[in-house]
Amino acid sequence: MSDGVRLADAASGSDPAEGLRAARALRELAERLEALQVDNARVHGWSWQEIAFCLGVSKQAVHKKHSGRRLGH
Amino acid sequence: MPFERFRDDARHAVVVARDEAVRARQDQIGCEHLLLGLLCEPGVAAEALTAAGLNITSLRAALPVGGNAASPDPLDAESLASLGIDLDAVRRATDAAFGHGALDRASAPRRDRLRITGGRRMTADSKKSLELALRAAVGLRQNYISSGHVLLGILDQEDNAAQAALRAAGIDPAGLRADVLRRMTAAA
Repeated sequence: MSDGVRLADAASGSDPAEGLRAARALRELAERLEALQVDNARVHGWSWQEIAFCLGVSKQAVHKKHSGRRLGH
Repeated sequence: MPFERFRDDARHAVVVARDEAVRARQDQIGCEHLLLGLLCEPGVAAEALTAAGLNITSLRAALPVGGNAASPDPLDAESLASLGIDLDAVRRATDAAFGHGALDRASAPRRDRLRITGGRRMTADSKKSLELALRAAVGLRQNYISSGHVLLGILDQEDNAAQAALRAAGIDPAGLRADVLRRMTAAA
């Protein structure tokens, strides 16, 4: 099966289980990338205001979501 | 489990075991993942396992892979592939930018993170293996834990998934144990 057909399958949700799983995986991936990028921005001295602007959310939202996390590992 | 006395080969084997559990979409690091870790990491355990005829690819293929509806890995590589996203490529990029395993560490709540096992808990059997590894080291009057001790820890249990995998590969756990012990005492 070509990638295009598989993409259409998952996106159009002909099989709900597969479509939902794909949506969940995509959300999980996005959340993880966001966490990595926010940490990195903080390491580089970005303010919560600047990070929030780039993410398209309020400063309060981004602070609430990410501020509890210890930087680095 | 204190890892201070672990030599690099034993420590790295645990890290590889964690990666293997992640790859197999298992929530916990089992004995079978430890076995894979030992096989992958150069050391006395890998020498004994390779001499016994164990092969990384076939062992990996013989182990269960999760991802069913009951407990799917949230970061499901197959599902992402169906959307045209290559998770391995994303992982390579995040590894390069943020260090090895960054993407897998990024999710787990901090309180669950152990330094070495990185967000994956160990099964009772694999914890027991590490305890028995320590006991084996004490028994051999060695003040460190090498990959060989960890392998002894796996083999000194009554039975576990790793021993089952060995038997499935046609390897006798008792014979393997004797060979490991011989190599460890010869090396000392």
